[in-house]
Amino acid sequence: MIVSWNWLSEYVDLPVTAEELTERLALAGLNHEQTHPVGDDLAIDLEVTSNRPDWMSHLGVAREVSALWGKALRMPKAAPQATHPPIEQFAEVYVDCPELCPQYSARLIQGVTIGPSPAWLVKRLTTLGVKSINNVVDITNYVLFECGQPLHAFDFDKLQRRTIRVRRAEPGEQILAIDHRIYPLEPDMCVIADAVRPVAIGGVMGGAETEVTEHTRNVLIEAAEFAPLSIRSTSRKLRLRSPSSERFERGVDPEGVDWASRRCCELILELAGGQLCEGSIHISAARPPRNPIVLRLSQLPRVLGIEVPREEVRRILAALGCAEQPAPSDTSLCFFPPSWRRDLEREIDLVEEVARIHGYDKIPEDTAIPVRPAPCDEKDRVLQKVRHVLTAAGFFEALTVSAIPESWSEAFSPWTNQPALACQTPMIKGTDRLRRTLVPSLLAARAYNESVGNESAELFETARVYLPQPERLPDEPLMVALTSSRGFHDIKGVLEAVLEELHVGDPLEVEEYASDFFDPGTGFRYRLAGQLWAVLGVTSAATNRLFGLRRSSTVAEFQFEPLVRLAHLVPRYVPLVAYPAIEQDLNLVMDETVRWAELERSIKRAGGELLERVMYRETYRDPKTDGPDKKRILMRLTLRSRHGTLTTDEANSVRDQIVRAVEAECGARLLGS
Amino acid sequence: MSFERFTAELDALWRAASQAFSQVSDPAALEAARVEFLGARSGRLKALQKMLADIPPPQKPDAGRRFNQIKKELEEALRQAQQRLGSTAAARSRRPPLDPTLPGTRVGLGKLHPISHTIEELKEIMGRLGFTVADGPEVEDEWHNFEALNIPPDHPARDPLDNFYLSVAGQLCQPPLLLRSQTSTVQIRVMERMPPPVRIIALGRVYRPDEVDATHYPMFHQMEGLMVDRHVTMADLKSTLRLFAAAYLGQDAPIRFRPSFFPFTEPSVEVDFQWAGGWIEFGGAGMVDPAVLAAVGYDPEQVTGFAFGLGVERLCMRRHQIPDIRELYRNDVRFLRQF
Repeated sequence: MIVSWNWLSEYVDLPVTAEELTERLALAGLNHEQTHPVGDDLAIDLEVTSNRPDWMSHLGVAREVSALWGKALRMPKAAPQATHPPIEQFAEVYVDCPELCPQYSARLIQGVTIGPSPAWLVKRLTTLGVKSINNVVDITNYVLFECGQPLHAFDFDKLQRRTIRVRRAEPGEQILAIDHRIYPLEPDMCVIADAVRPVAIGGVMGGAETEVTEHTRNVLIEAAEFAPLSIRSTSRKLRLRSPSSERFERGVDPEGVDWASRRCCELILELAGGQLCEGSIHISAARPPRNPIVLRLSQLPRVLGIEVPREEVRRILAALGCAEQPAPSDTSLCFFPPSWRRDLEREIDLVEEVARIHGYDKIPEDTAIPVRPAPCDEKDRVLQKVRHVLTAAGFFEALTVSAIPESWSEAFSPWTNQPALACQTPMIKGTDRLRRTLVPSLLAARAYNESVGNESAELFETARVYLPQPERLPDEPLMVALTSSRGFHDIKGVLEAVLEELHVGDPLEVEEYASDFFDPGTGFRYRLAGQLWAVLGVTSAATNRLFGLRRSSTVAEFQFEPLVRLAHLVPRYVPLVAYPAIEQDLNLVMDETVRWAELERSIKRAGGELLERVMYRETYRDPKTDGPDKKRILMRLTLRSRHGTLTTDEANSVRDQIVRAVEAECGARLLGS
Repeated sequence: MSFERFTAELDALWRAASQAFSQVSDPAALEAARVEFLGARSGRLKALQKMLADIPPPQKPDAGRRFNQIKKELEEALRQAQQRLGSTAAARSRRPPLDPTLPGTRVGLGKLHPISHTIEELKEIMGRLGFTVADGPEVEDEWHNFEALNIPPDHPARDPLDNFYLSVAGQLCQPPLLLRSQTSTVQIRVMERMPPPVRIIALGRVYRPDEVDATHYPMFHQMEGLMVDRHVTMADLKSTLRLFAAAYLGQDAPIRFRPSFFPFTEPSVEVDFQWAGGWIEFGGAGMVDPAVLAAVGYDPEQVTGFAFGLGVERLCMRRHQIPDIRELYRNDVRFLRQF
């Protein structure tokens, strides 16, 4: 809303400089955007919040100034002299859709002389950046910016059968608006029609065929009230915003409609001549009466933390246009809110008004807030540890958008078979699926990095995924995902490090995860404490193509919640054994199909309590000596007793037990034996 | 000789030699130890090397590997001992000088995202003020995102074009679901769940349709604070935010309230901090609207509360002087490395 300094000063004395004025207005809720000079005037741009349509006019801002500085407000009279017969003799007005147009008022002026506006009027509009058209159109604009009520002037002689009918648009109807563009209309839009066709898009823009031109002699002045939601949806659908629609969609003063009509006619008679027909045609739907509001004075300190003197409360609310009524008790006051303040309905609304004008600077900022413990959330602590492990392992944290393109969403969904939720409006062009896994987003971030020359972006993200559930909110488990250039076992090692850091003792169980997303034979899922926990694999060529990756990446994703459940954040001390350990290397040859987990299980069972640790060292193959489909696994056993120094014989006997067990259970043979 | 015996002897030799090298106290003793263990003709290591020949062939490569490893380690131990004793000039001249200006061998550390740093900092400050972290879903129903927050059906904020309403398999979700447009939804969930007093913050992603440009992104992060109890006033709100400002900015900073409008607070204000001679915008705040308290089953005659919210991106960008919000979501490693 642009306010002209000169214009504003017509309604109220401005006791301060423009800078002081805008500063104080900002502290009363009218944010100052900028001020720039236009001729000998200032254009002051103020930002109006959606609850204060009354501020979208000079009179509204003047009222605020008058309340803040205690200056009198000068309201124009708006008392045009009618000299012609009653309007009903010439015109007919019907409102078919009171739900879209609760109030319509028409006045008729005959014999106007259309011409240029006087210089003062042109100047006023110029300050606001509004182009001058002719005297009558300029006056309708002037009154709009004066009091906030939009008006429209029709060339009365061009209205078929001299009729105004406010109705819903008929299917297929269209209109040529005064911007000389054609707009298709729909039945949920309100139009102003004559006997045969729409002549204006109600509250949004007038039609070109009935606009006031230099040949116009008789003008019908429309002042109306339109339903805010309907105006908003019409102006959005047509992509047509106007000073009118901006005001109607916030709601105009229902009791200001007739004043604006009279004010407009008064100015037309003064500047364009003509004769005003007696009266107006005024059609108005009944509206619920408003109730007076009781303000308990004790509510002011209860909400604001400060007392405001009773007389100050009365002065402030009176200056804002509230009419004081007899109060139910002597500890309260009672007010009837002004018609232009539909936002004032409850006691708390009056509390805010008093606070706003009294000044928030009066509220102290040094009260003692009672101390209260805020224990650190267990989830937070686990998350911090997970992030520490991942950054220590060389991963950078990425933040990616929660929606992804359909093709990515379809390519990989390790946690659910339910179709993904989709946004009605794409979040970013082409991305509308709420992701069920973070992996695709990370691969895309990796591909972006490749494209800017960061060859191997080691990335992780912790974020929620959205797993749809029938007829309720989706599950939103927090996931942790990684993408890396490192190998399968490197990334598995990172996952193991996470478990180790959190002292999760439960073993991982593996299962094959067949998916085209991964290179054949490299996709696996891991269970932790019986629950599906992680997915790990190396991207396939098809996946690389989909994301534009030049090289495959090892990716993993694991669920965060199970970690919170299984973590031991306060580990218990385990006594250290003082006796030395004996280390023994084992080099075993076995079938390729034997997995480490089986081997380890056998070894641990056979090793018993003397086996402190079995450490995998390497796998290698010697087909010439061992035959095809055989591999060698080298490992190191650490043997130690809690009760005394282990002798070589004891150690050898454990080792021999182990060798026998792996031979029997896994078909593994000790090399060199 | 068996492989096992060989490795056991190798280990024994290693233990004895490294002990000797580390304990000698004069060059003569060191030379004696060198001859005993690493002597080229009759040192003990040389003797073991000869036994390598007798290891069964399948284990020979392994034995060889281990032998070499031990030999290298002992040579290094000898070198260190020589250095320690300031021994022969010859030893010193054999070794090229160490260049201490060469870059150190780096551990490849990753970094947290700057938004995470900001969030952690906010949590920490608010935690010290007694606010615990609360959580709520990102996909919400209309009750929690609108109605309970005093945003009635005809409110412009509910326009489907201004929200991410969700569908599944081409059908709008029933009941309607949408991505939350503010973290205030968490207020409602917390108050529905527990009686007053409440002192929480909620942090997380929120979503609003917006054309992407340097300052707009359809997804961003908010922090929301809520305190409800008997006798909570706007003075408490102002005081809390002032303490927050002092902690975040590292120095006391006056704050000011400008009236504003949010459906879920009344009075509603914009909050500014005075900093470096000007006012910087912090975010929105206000007293919890009585309608919101009533919606969650609290008695507005018994309790009052304040709430405040701010955009995490804005704080983060200002703190690190990041000019373009898109940079935060590109995940260019050159960017991520900077924080």
